[in-house]
Amino acid sequence: MNVIETNNLTKSYGKSRGIVDISFSVKEGEIFGFIGPNGSGKSTTIRILLSLIYPTSGSANIFGKDVVAYGSEIKKEIGYLPSEVFYYANMKVIELLKYSASFYKKDCSKRINYLAEIMHLDLNKKIDDLSFGNKKKVGIVQGLLHEPKLIILDEPTSGLDPLMQQKFFDLLKEENKKGATILFSSHILSEVQKLCDRVAIIKEGKIIKLENISALKENNYKRFRIETLSKIDKNHFNIMGVNKLEIKENRVKFIFKGNINIIIKKISFIEISNIWIDEPDLEEIFMHHYSKEA
Amino acid sequence: MNIFLHELNAYRKSIILWTISLAVIVIISFSLFPSFSRDIDQIKNLFEAFPKAIRIGMGISLDRFANILGYYSFPFSFVVLFGAIQAMNLGLSIVSKEVREKTVDFLLTKPIKRTQILTAKILAGIISLVITNVIYIAVTSIIASVVKRDDYSFKIFFMISITLLFVQLIFMSVGVIISVILPRIKSVLPISLATVFIFYFISFLSSITADDRIRYITPFKYFDAVYIIENSAYEMPFIIISLVIPVGAISASYVIYDKKDMHAV
Repeated sequence: MNVIETNNLTKSYGKSRGIVDISFSVKEGEIFGFIGPNGSGKSTTIRILLSLIYPTSGSANIFGKDVVAYGSEIKKEIGYLPSEVFYYANMKVIELLKYSASFYKKDCSKRINYLAEIMHLDLNKKIDDLSFGNKKKVGIVQGLLHEPKLIILDEPTSGLDPLMQQKFFDLLKEENKKGATILFSSHILSEVQKLCDRVAIIKEGKIIKLENISALKENNYKRFRIETLSKIDKNHFNIMGVNKLEIKENRVKFIFKGNINIIIKKISFIEISNIWIDEPDLEEIFMHHYSKEA
Repeated sequence: MNIFLHELNAYRKSIILWTISLAVIVIISFSLFPSFSRDIDQIKNLFEAFPKAIRIGMGISLDRFANILGYYSFPFSFVVLFGAIQAMNLGLSIVSKEVREKTVDFLLTKPIKRTQILTAKILAGIISLVITNVIYIAVTSIIASVVKRDDYSFKIFFMISITLLFVQLIFMSVGVIISVILPRIKSVLPISLATVFIFYFISFLSSITADDRIRYITPFKYFDAVYIIENSAYEMPFIIISLVIPVGAISASYVIYDKKDMHAV
């Protein structure tokens, strides 16, 4: 069964770009990634799913019901966490969470305490006194306290330190095991790779690719920066999978896509003094891989 | 119900502050009443020195100053002015507050219809105004009974006082529709002050020109204390307008709010 289904969803804002013909579906129990650079239309799509904004054309269903006509009914089973959370500043955390819980016709107090404990959240502080990261934790608890069947996350990890991020991901996996479907939007590829089963890649308001995460993992992108002890042959790294190669004296920079072992062997032939390997920005990957296809 | 209570709780301080302010206007002016009515002839001479237009504009009717109800109509025009600002603030805040404080996403992703949200919020606004009026009338009638010299009709006193609520409901509904139409309101007070004072100024003008048509434009002229004292009744056309404006504005607000796109912050 499909939990989310969109058909040619389009939203136009006068001149500025919205989204065009977005069609995808998320199956029950799936963790679905929604990935694209900032401003690509991820939030617009999510806001339509939550009927915060209405589509110009096309339609979207959640649990088989139209999001515009049955918005309030659908939302009983949706938990939403935006990238930036804003709550009533002069409320205490517990007051806000209880207010939030009062919209769902079930007792959530045990769940609130459980989630607050995991996330190390002080329930008696005023929202106004919380740091950005702690507000985010309130958002997480707020989004999960009613045990929703569908969890929608819009760039949820900003502001969370790595430890909390891990706990949050564990929490999401736990919910997923219990049967929750998750829509996870992000512009950080590694994040999505860690969590999701399938991803839609969105760029300039259009979905340019739907992929299984295994396929994305095959296309393992790494950014290499190397400092060598001596000048190297310009063609040393001129192999399959190396993109955007830049060599300046004893510094080498490139993005590699493919089997990591091949490039590591290649590096082992030269004397290096330092090396950095990290995740390239999504934008860089898009520019090099998907720009040709899109 | 939860939204309603949450809203009412949020308005608590503002209700108290506004009610005190309104009561203070009446307390101060009523405390002057005993000396006013004692030296009524001198006072009359003093006020006659004022240009007639200003006297009428401010709601001063000299002949009635000796009587507490006639006297009351003078401070009451200021009470209505301030009350209108309170109501307009309230109406403007109902929707704009959530946008300004960026809590609109929180509320609108809950399993509740937008119309239900608006209903709860408008009801909370109306109840806030009713509470203000109940306390205001209670305080004012107590003071009136202390300073009065002759008996007065409580019915007439009530009929005059409750027009505060009528005018407030008009301004609140105007505030609601403005806040629903404008995409974002940075600050409520400038808009409500400007709107209220424009209408107050129009009412001032209409007093001077004595052109009856202008009365229809400004809610401040819908309920004339002198007319109420003389006839123990309201003027029907204005009662109708006072119903039509809020009902129209609120209905339109429902339609607009339900269709409105709530953009990311």
